[in-house]
Amino acid sequence: MSASKTTGGKAIDILRNLPRISLANLRPNPGARKTERRRGRGAHGGNKSGRGHKGERQRGNRPRLGFEGGQTPFYLAIPKYGYNEGHSLRPQYQPLSLRRLQYLIDLGRVDTSQPIDLTQLVNGRGVTVQPLKRDYGVHLVEEGADIFSAKINIEVQRATEGAVAAIERNGGVITTGFYDFRSLTILCKPVPFFLSGQPIPKRMLPGEDMVRYYTGAENRGYLSDPEEVERARQELAQKYGYVLPDISKDELFHMLSIRKDCRQIFFGLAPGWVVNMAERKILKPTDEKLLRYYGS
Amino acid sequence: MRVNYVFQFCSLWRTRATESGPMASSSTAEQKCAVVESTEEYKYVERLIPPTKIPTPPLHDGPAPSGWRPPSAVTPDLPYMVRRSRLHNVPVYTDLTHGNRKTTLLRKIEGDIWALENDVKEYLVQLTGKIPLTQVNEVTMSIRIKGHFDKELKEWLLEKGF
Repeated sequence: MSASKTTGGKAIDILRNLPRISLANLRPNPGARKTERRRGRGAHGGNKSGRGHKGERQRGNRPRLGFEGGQTPFYLAIPKYGYNEGHSLRPQYQPLSLRRLQYLIDLGRVDTSQPIDLTQLVNGRGVTVQPLKRDYGVHLVEEGADIFSAKINIEVQRATEGAVAAIERNGGVITTGFYDFRSLTILCKPVPFFLSGQPIPKRMLPGEDMVRYYTGAENRGYLSDPEEVERARQELAQKYGYVLPDISKDELFHMLSIRKDCRQIFFGLAPGWVVNMAERKILKPTDEKLLRYYGS
Repeated sequence: MRVNYVFQFCSLWRTRATESGPMASSSTAEQKCAVVESTEEYKYVERLIPPTKIPTPPLHDGPAPSGWRPPSAVTPDLPYMVRRSRLHNVPVYTDLTHGNRKTTLLRKIEGDIWALENDVKEYLVQLTGKIPLTQVNEVTMSIRIKGHFDKELKEWLLEKGF
């Protein structure tokens, strides 16, 4: 083999001759590992072995972290307070900014010609909702409110006042709705649920702590009085200083006026129905007892 | 009640299979299990199926409200090309490692990568007054620049028409 003169050529020659890297010849880089220092071994034993004179240092029995020699330590002197009590049980909402929503609409990932709910946002890969991580849905936040310019009918789980104003300024409609754990799981991933062949369950009503939010017209709650919502829309328009567009004269009035029933999970599909995806049809029960159970 | 429903359904299935059973019980079971089949509402199900492909962005006149712009229809007359990412964004990313090592990564480069590196350097010298440290990877066709310059480089690439 003719040895190359250049550095690159030499490197290539070495690479050609060396064996391939495998588990048999892998080892840490030279100098990457350092052997532990063992005190008092060999010629270095005798009197103190490099550990100093007496005490906790020599014997290696230092007290616990935060110990102040018997005085009440700082970490015990301050009383406990439950700022974070129940943090592992608190509902979480994934934030969705108006800037991101506008971006999703601009790229055709969310269709504005139909009502938008959590399924559309998840399918457009706009948010990731994990019900098992105590996610209760999405929280629409007002970042990017000044660039938001789409007319939409959206349903979210929480919304800030500014976000509501930005949507209604453009002639859109927003509703906040509650989904229990099972409904939310189904809403985020409908297809695996349909394939399971179970009837669509009815949506549970919110717990006591959330009733106030979802019956509030200022939050556009799905359990609030529609007349009060209309009043709140006018008030918000005055507060933020915009003219509220008249929806009833809009060409998209039909789309904008679609709402879910408080027991309904999907738009257009009632609880109790079974979806047959293989034969592309829907089975509706006729038994009176079942209808009474699934009716709101 | 649901257990009852399932039981009725099972009994119906059994009577049908064996063709021998009390007629009265089978008729009540039939009534309870009767379903209406419908294909009209299936369009609502179709809307819930997640798409398997990334949709092509709709046409906008001028930049979209969110600031997104499509690449120019005419390929810029340069020795290099920068393609868009799968989600139609400019492939410039920031990286923060070891807590404070800020780098910017420029991906999806085709053609003369060294010419692009030169242009990036020139632009950043104009911007900051210092020669930036860059690293060219010809295998992955990407350039890594020391410091966070994602916004500037994205805007710069958009103006070039990528």
